[in-house]
Amino acid sequence: MRRFYCLFVLALLLLPYRVAQAQTVDEILSRGTVNIGVLVDLPPYGILNAQQEPDGYDIDVAKLLGKYLGVKVNLVQITGPNRIPFLVTNKVDLIVATLGVTPERAKQVLFSIPYSAIENVVFAPKDKKIGSIADLKGMRVGVPRGTVQDVILTQALGSDAKMARFDDDPSTYQALLTGQVDAIAETGLTGDQFYAANPGPGIERKFTLLQQPNGITMRKDQWNLHQWVNTFVYFVKNNGELDVLYQKWFHKPLPNLPVF
Amino acid sequence: MRTLILADFGFLLLAARWTIVLSAAAFFGGGVLGLLIALARVSQTRALRWLAIGYIRVFQGTPLLLQLFLVFFGGDMLGVPLGPWISAVLGLSLNAAAFLGEIWRGSIQSVTIGQIEAARALGLHYLPLMLRVVLPQALRVAIAPTVGFMVNLVKSTSLAAIIGFVELTRAGQLLNNATFRPFLIFGTVALIYFVLCWPLTVASRRMERRLATAYRR
Amino acid sequence: MNYVFHFGDIWNAWPELLWGTLLTLRLSALSMLLSLIVAVFGALARTSGPRPLRALVAAYVELIRNTPFLVQIFLIFFGLPTVGLRLDANTGALIALVLNGSAYTIEIVRAGIESIPHGQVEAARALGLHTLQAFRLVVLPQALRVVVPPLGSQFILLMLNSSVVSVISADELTAAAQDIQSRTFRAFEAYIVATAIYFGLSMLFTAAFASIERLAFGRPVSR
Repeated sequence: MRRFYCLFVLALLLLPYRVAQAQTVDEILSRGTVNIGVLVDLPPYGILNAQQEPDGYDIDVAKLLGKYLGVKVNLVQITGPNRIPFLVTNKVDLIVATLGVTPERAKQVLFSIPYSAIENVVFAPKDKKIGSIADLKGMRVGVPRGTVQDVILTQALGSDAKMARFDDDPSTYQALLTGQVDAIAETGLTGDQFYAANPGPGIERKFTLLQQPNGITMRKDQWNLHQWVNTFVYFVKNNGELDVLYQKWFHKPLPNLPVF
Repeated sequence: MRTLILADFGFLLLAARWTIVLSAAAFFGGGVLGLLIALARVSQTRALRWLAIGYIRVFQGTPLLLQLFLVFFGGDMLGVPLGPWISAVLGLSLNAAAFLGEIWRGSIQSVTIGQIEAARALGLHYLPLMLRVVLPQALRVAIAPTVGFMVNLVKSTSLAAIIGFVELTRAGQLLNNATFRPFLIFGTVALIYFVLCWPLTVASRRMERRLATAYRR
Repeated sequence: MNYVFHFGDIWNAWPELLWGTLLTLRLSALSMLLSLIVAVFGALARTSGPRPLRALVAAYVELIRNTPFLVQIFLIFFGLPTVGLRLDANTGALIALVLNGSAYTIEIVRAGIESIPHGQVEAARALGLHTLQAFRLVVLPQALRVVVPPLGSQFILLMLNSSVVSVISADELTAAAQDIQSRTFRAFEAYIVATAIYFGLSMLFTAAFASIERLAFGRPVSR
C-alpha cells in the first residue's frame, strides 16, 4: 500500500511536465514559440552585445526564421560541448550555430540546405612560413574539437603535428594569441576581427583550408520541420533577405551556397 | 571585440548572485537527500545500507562534470523536461547528497552504541530515538565538516559553467570572450569566490577547534 | 523518450578512449607525485619554518582551497601568458593540478606531522639525532600511518578533478569523450562510457589503497 502511494505521488509530480516537445511545424505553431539554440561566442555569427543579449548573423537568421513561422523566437544559449544534448533532449527545436555539414554527424541529426558558408582558414604569426597543410608538420595546431577542420588536419597530419583541441572557438583564437599553439584552423572572418583588435603578435591569414557550408540542425525524426526549414532557406536566399543579413554583418555579398 | 568597462564588473557581481542561489539550493536539496542517505547507511536493513553505499560510491567515484552532463540532460532522456535551473540544482544536489551523507553517517556513528541501547531499553522507537537522542548529538559533531563542505559546494557550482549555466565562472568566460582581458577577469572571478568561501572556511575551522577542545576536556 | 542509444561509434573509437584513460592515469599519477613532494616541503615550512615562510604557505593553501579549480585553470592557461609566462596545455594542466593538489596534500601531511607529540622529537634530539634524522626516523614512519588513507582519497579526487582540464585542450579521458561526441554528435553515449571508465578506475584504486593499507600497516580497512 505504501509503495502504491509513493508511485502515485511520483506520477503526480511528473504529470505536469509531460508537455511540449515540438516535432512538427504544427506543434510549433500551436505552441506559439520556437526554441532556437545559438552560440554567443563566435563573432560575428553569434555574440553577446553590450546589453548581454545574443546578437549576430546566426541570431538574425534565427529571428527571420521565427518571423516566417509566425511565432515568437526563444533564443537558447548553447556551448560547444552541450549543443547536441540540448537538441536531442528537446530543450531546443533546432540549432542555428554555424555547424558544418558532415556525413558522420548526419547519422545523428538532420541538416538543412546551407544557410551560410565560412572560410576555414589557417592563422599563424607573421614570422611562421606556412603555405599548405604540409608546412604545419611539427607544429602545435589548435582547432575546435570535432569540427570539419579538426577531422581534415588530423587525417592529413596524423602524428606529424600536435593537435590541440578546444571546447569552443574563443579558446582556440586566444590560445594562438597567447602563443600556446603555433597555428590554428578557424573561421576566417571571426579571426580577422579578433586579430585586428589584438594586433600585438602580428597574426595573419596563411591559407584557406576549405569553404565550409553550414546547415540549420534538427533532430533525426523532424522530417516535417526539416522540409519547412529547407523551404525557408531556399526562399530567403532567392528573395535577397539572407543577402541583406550577410551584408549587415560581413559587408560583402552572400557567397554561392551549394544545395543538397 | 569591445573594451572592458566598469559596468562589466557589475555583470560579474550580478552573476555571483546566481552562484550563491545555486549553492544554497543545492545545499538544501543535497541536505534533505543526504540525511536520508546517512540514515539508510546506518540502517538495520541490509538492502538499505547497500543501496546507500552504492549511491555514495557512484557519486564519489565519477567526475562531477560528467554527472552534471548526464543529470542535466537525463531528465529529458526519461521524458521529464526539467529546465536548466532545476537540472543544475538537481545535478549538484545529487552529488552533494553523497558527500553530506558520508559526513553525517560519521557523525551519527560518533554517538556511542551504549546510548542507543539504553534508549531502546527505555522503549524508544526509531523516530524518537533518532530525533531526541542520536541526531542532536550528531549535529554537534557534524556542523564543522558540513560548513567545510559548503566551500566545496560553492566551488563546484563553477562546473555548471561548462554545461552553459550562466553563473560567476561562465559570466567571466563570456566577458573574456568579448573583451580578452583574461588575467584581470579571471583574477576578479577568483577574488569573488574567495570572498564567498573564505568566511565559511574560517568558521568551519573555528568550530572544529572548539569541538576538539570540548572533547579533550 | 524516443532517443535511441547507439554505442557503435563509441566502440569504434576504443583506441581513443584507451589512450585517454592512460593519459588520465599518467596525468593523475604525475601530479600526485609532484604534489606530494611539494607537500612534504610545504608542510615542514608550515610547521617549523621561519614566520614569514609559514605565513606564505598558509596564504597559498587558503587561496587555492577557496577558489574553484576551473577558475585556477583559466588563470594559468589564459591569464599567465598575458603577463609573459607561456605554457602548453598539457604542462599547464599538470601545473594546475599540482598547484591545486599541493594545497590539500600540505594540509594532510601537516596533520600527519602534528599527530606526533612534540615530546618524541625532543627525545630523539636528546638522543643525538639532528632535526632531519629525527624527522626521517621518528616522525615520518608514524606520520605515514596517519596520512596514507587520506592521500588515497586525495588521489581519487585529483583523478576526478583532472576531467576538467579538457577545457584548455589538455589530453585525457574526458577530452577523448568530448572529441568523439563533437565528431559523431553521440554525446550521451560518449559521456556514459567515460563516466563508467572513471567509476571503474575509482573502484580499482579504492580497493588497491585498501590492500596497501592492510599490507603496510596490518589493520582493517578504515571505513
